[in-house]
Amino acid sequence: MVLASLADGPKHGHAMLLDIIEMSGTRLGPGTLYGAITRLERDGLVEALAREDRRQPYKLTVLGRRVLRAKLTTLHHFARAGLRKLEA
Amino acid sequence: MQSRAVRRLISVYPRAWKARYGEEFAVLLEEHSLTLATVVDVCGWAIREHLVSIRSQIVNPRQRAVILMAYAALAALAGGVNFYWTVADTPMATAMRTHRAMSLSFQLIARAAFAAGLIVIAVAAPLVTNMVRTALASRRWNIVAWLALPVLAAVTTLAWMEAAMLLTGTRWVPTPWDVTGDWTAPAAWPALTTRWAFGVVTCVLLLLGLAASAASVTHAIRRTDVTAQPRAWLTGTAIAFTVATFAMVVGVSTWGWFSELYARADFHAINGGLFNSSNFASWLLSAITFAVASVLSIQSARSALLPE
Repeated sequence: MVLASLADGPKHGHAMLLDIIEMSGTRLGPGTLYGAITRLERDGLVEALAREDRRQPYKLTVLGRRVLRAKLTTLHHFARAGLRKLEA
Repeated sequence: MQSRAVRRLISVYPRAWKARYGEEFAVLLEEHSLTLATVVDVCGWAIREHLVSIRSQIVNPRQRAVILMAYAALAALAGGVNFYWTVADTPMATAMRTHRAMSLSFQLIARAAFAAGLIVIAVAAPLVTNMVRTALASRRWNIVAWLALPVLAAVTTLAWMEAAMLLTGTRWVPTPWDVTGDWTAPAAWPALTTRWAFGVVTCVLLLLGLAASAASVTHAIRRTDVTAQPRAWLTGTAIAFTVATFAMVVGVSTWGWFSELYARADFHAINGGLFNSSNFASWLLSAITFAVASVLSIQSARSALLPE
């Protein structure tokens, strides 16, 4: 969800939370969001940009974009296959 | 959220994490209201970050093996204490006298626990002696302090229990297993509210003691060279400990199975469980704790088998 929220450009924590609510209806806790950011940054999927005031924006790395694309493609195939079965 | 609450919440994270994310996380928390859900969310993730931090700092497989064995021992101790008090002086103990299968399962747990205790002593005694000797020689008082913490926790809990008996002027031992249930408390026992309050204090002290012991072991071993112990010795004891904890899991599982078969009514009654829970619920808690101990001891044996 965090990767998907960064797909259309860099965002800071609060903007990510609002974007995730809009995309999925899921309200992440602040600890959960920063737990995810910590792991994604350690795995090289997101990177921090220069600070804006006290807020810290993040953006997807090339690897992050690739991983997100692969995950979304899998989900897309899965959803299409599921819908096909449902309609058959 | 008020900045004081924000500072308190951030303070539960590891130092390195705070240095990297503390300021930006504070900005995010300031935009949230202080709710129980937020506190639980933040504290839960802080614990996870501490575990990640400990794992990343312990690179030596032997240190990891010893620490995991200590955690397994603490989990087994917690499960064992809960199981003992669930059974002691309850109709389950009477049922065990009539049904040999239940008694044999209990014996298996007791003997496995005894063996596990001996293994822990065999591993810990030379290690602790070495740690204390090195720490005293190099005047590293922080190691001595960390090692003294579990002893202090045990003494505090025992002193509290003794003091509570003196305070109430009764022979009632303030354990969370003897608070209430579907039985009539002896007339000489203190009032129900006193039993609840004192039982909670004992339970909190026991949990704090376990947490303090876990922290103590982690910090003391991280600062100590454990390579003085022969690798084969550590591997052998870690495997033996795994067998012992596995036997405890088998014992507690079969005991539960036979209790369900031979003493169903007593097993589901509320007469010995932790904090007014049924014997079944309390047994389940012990079974889960023993299973955790078994998983941790397998991890310990795996670490001991890893090349340096």
